[in-house]
Amino acid sequence: MTAYSQEVIRDLMEGKLPWPDTKRIMSAYKDDDRFFKALAVLQARVTWKERILLPVGEHLFIVQKGEKRVTRCTCGHEFGDYRRNWKLAANILVRDDEASLREIYPNSDLCDPNWMEIREFLCPSCFRLLEVEACPPGYPIVHDFEPDLEGFYRDWLGKPLGAHSRAPAGGGGAAPPKRE
Amino acid sequence: MLNTMSRPLPLRHRMLESERLMRETGCYDGITELELRARDPLKFETLHTKLRSFCVSAREMARRISASPGVREVGEMVVAIYTPEGDAVALSNGIMVHVHTMSRFIKWMIREGYEENPGIRDGDIFANNDAFIGTVQVPDVMDVMPIYYGGELVGWAGAVCHELEAGGITPGGDVCLAQERFTEGLFVCAEKVGENDELRRDYIIRCERNLRMPIYWVLDEKAKVASCIEMRESVKSIIDEVGIDYWRQVMKEFIEEGRRAQLARTRQLTVPGIYRGHTFYGHVTEGKPGFQPLGEPDWLYNMPLEMEITSEGKIKVDFDGTQPWGYHSMNCTPAGMDGGMFVTLTQHMNFEGLVNDGAWMATELNLPEGTWTNPDNEFCATATSWALLLPAYGVFQRLLSRGFIARGFVEEAFVGQVNSPMIEMGGTSQYNRSFGMAHFECAAAGSGALAIKDGLDTAYVGWNPESDMGNIEIWEQNMPMLYIGRSIVPNSGGAGKYRGGCAFVSTWLVHKTPHVRLVTSEHSSRVFDNAGMCGGYPAPTCQKHRAVRDTDIQERALRGEPLPHAPGIDPHRSDYERLLGGRHVTEEGPYITAPHKSGDVFSHAYNGGGGYGDVLERDAVKTAWDVENGFLTQEAAERIFGIVVREEDDGRFGVDKAATTKAQEAIRSKRKSRSVPVSQWLASQKTRVAERHVVPEVARMYDSAMRLSDRFARDFRAFWSLADDFTFSA
Repeated sequence: MTAYSQEVIRDLMEGKLPWPDTKRIMSAYKDDDRFFKALAVLQARVTWKERILLPVGEHLFIVQKGEKRVTRCTCGHEFGDYRRNWKLAANILVRDDEASLREIYPNSDLCDPNWMEIREFLCPSCFRLLEVEACPPGYPIVHDFEPDLEGFYRDWLGKPLGAHSRAPAGGGGAAPPKRE
Repeated sequence: MLNTMSRPLPLRHRMLESERLMRETGCYDGITELELRARDPLKFETLHTKLRSFCVSAREMARRISASPGVREVGEMVVAIYTPEGDAVALSNGIMVHVHTMSRFIKWMIREGYEENPGIRDGDIFANNDAFIGTVQVPDVMDVMPIYYGGELVGWAGAVCHELEAGGITPGGDVCLAQERFTEGLFVCAEKVGENDELRRDYIIRCERNLRMPIYWVLDEKAKVASCIEMRESVKSIIDEVGIDYWRQVMKEFIEEGRRAQLARTRQLTVPGIYRGHTFYGHVTEGKPGFQPLGEPDWLYNMPLEMEITSEGKIKVDFDGTQPWGYHSMNCTPAGMDGGMFVTLTQHMNFEGLVNDGAWMATELNLPEGTWTNPDNEFCATATSWALLLPAYGVFQRLLSRGFIARGFVEEAFVGQVNSPMIEMGGTSQYNRSFGMAHFECAAAGSGALAIKDGLDTAYVGWNPESDMGNIEIWEQNMPMLYIGRSIVPNSGGAGKYRGGCAFVSTWLVHKTPHVRLVTSEHSSRVFDNAGMCGGYPAPTCQKHRAVRDTDIQERALRGEPLPHAPGIDPHRSDYERLLGGRHVTEEGPYITAPHKSGDVFSHAYNGGGGYGDVLERDAVKTAWDVENGFLTQEAAERIFGIVVREEDDGRFGVDKAATTKAQEAIRSKRKSRSVPVSQWLASQKTRVAERHVVPEVARMYDSAMRLSDRFARDFRAFWSLADDFTFSA
């Protein structure tokens, strides 16, 4: 079975692994223990202790907080229950005129703000840019991802969530996917 | 009558039986156990590898027969081997989108009773480019030949080339001006075009008399037939080795293995759940010559995708909520949509193991009838279906990537493909002959960023992972235009922690011709037809065309004055305007105007990909490198990323750290002062939506989406708390 050290996974996730090594990982059979190693890398990046259950973006995580599961930013800001669209609890900056679009596209032909606006979803605490939507005015905000969290842990990882409310003991391997 | 069967049709019966077994057992052809694989896995795997090598070598051989720079240089060809029922067993590299569309073509012939009339015999050649039978667009011409062994049909060999000229209302293959199928060009509708391994003379004559540049099509036909014969003979020799019984069984096991591997890989790389995303495409033709007033001239296309990954590992993609088909060439058939799914999966998930139709069988597409994805009018045109197909599957790539990120496989996360606009031409060549051609350097756009690195610059398109723009000298041999520039477009990659790959722009001097029509397609107008991810911005993909007629370029060259090589970085005044005299034209949307002649200058830009992550996390040294190498302007580095880059005495670019800290702090402050809570913004927008304060094209988009999709209408009204009967109808 393919497996990599925690350090290699960390460097890969941070974009610091040399390209030949990255390429080898991309071309090789996938490492079945990746998920929990990746979680450990992410957990080490944040300053809070609550267990990350699933990354849903570059700086967004579903986190076990007591009995609740919430969406949380790297900085610790919480967006509420993970089943709710976190964007609705974010800050938004909308670029819908030439001046604001030119800040991002100074030398290019622009979209027509009557046809398309750029919506930036920001963390209300650290003001990281978490997601961008490009859509016509009036378009409902998209709920990007509704993971089947319970089913994932139970059926795919073979580690039901109820039994794992505490942080995992470093890099535990996921059950390899069943090959029929 | 074609459909009147006077005798039993064993092949058709077998295909229907295979479909029944799949429905009943959930496994391909009822193969619930991989017996041959279990018995001797090495023999099993070796045989598939051999089949794949047959395909790869047959394609490479055939490319040398072709006269088309599209096939020879850019590799616009794919070949594959199929089961008797028409399911792909093994395939070559190349334009893999067509592996599954050819499957549809073979099945269509079987279903329509071709065994009886026109008959299926050893040495027959069948051709098709009808998207409603099984291809993507009219220039995608496919040829298949049955493989007989001991009098039994034991498979098919098939090959597709993208033709550079299809004989439509506008020159080239992606016939921009086609508004119905009757103007798309030469159709070959599942036709027997050859017997005894030879193309029929009357078919060749038809091609020669109905195409602007028949040498491309005709030699491509010969190349395809040669590759099919090569694969057929290789398959026969392998059956000699393994025996016919083993062959019959192993083909099915290969496909079932492919299906199971796809399910397992989805469970390995992603997370079950619901994923959503969207993109848009602007079609602007108001006032352009040639467009018939059959529908609204300007249209905004909405492409929302919802993907479900089931507990089993099945990927279900739903296009519910998208727009109706229209009187333009951008419609797509289910065959094209299947092909898009197949080629995307091949790139993103099938990087190991057996690659064949089994992967496609582990997916499910919902293509609502009446939409551009599944038109309920077979007269509609599909010649530029890539215009919508590419952005749509770019969304699919982002949805899959969200799953890869959630699972920790960040190296597979990819912001996705973009449209790569086509330029086509026809008229009098530099050899004083009639000609027509699609310029295929578009097969080298910028890619979306990855979650760990920048996207590929000028080196990726979705339909062919083996991307190539072709050499300038080859293109110049085939058209009456000379390159005066082929340059990276600065800032054309979407910004982000990792930027999208950059695009390039070509500038040509029209040369040695009194008359050349230039036509472009698959260029979105007024909206960016791509997106970023995780904080990355979309790439600026609604670029305009710039041309100069009756230039003074010869005089300026004689005087030794500087000439323009690219549009430059001032969106309000191009380098052409600065450095050339003549009549300057800036054109939005498809370029369809009066013919050009020697001395005119024309430019055409391709697209970059979307960005990944927050711009404030971008590496400053990489940014300086980008500026130094023309991928980014200094202005953009400072405005977008807050990275202040200065040219140093030795001509290199370095980062001004203190100024950068200040500039990035200023961007953070702007974010803080200018953003508002989403709840507050929604309250301010609700009145606008309720009162329908949007431009007519946006209102029409919402209206048609709500009419075609109950779910879209319900979700829209619920999101904005509108009445149950709210509509955008006039």
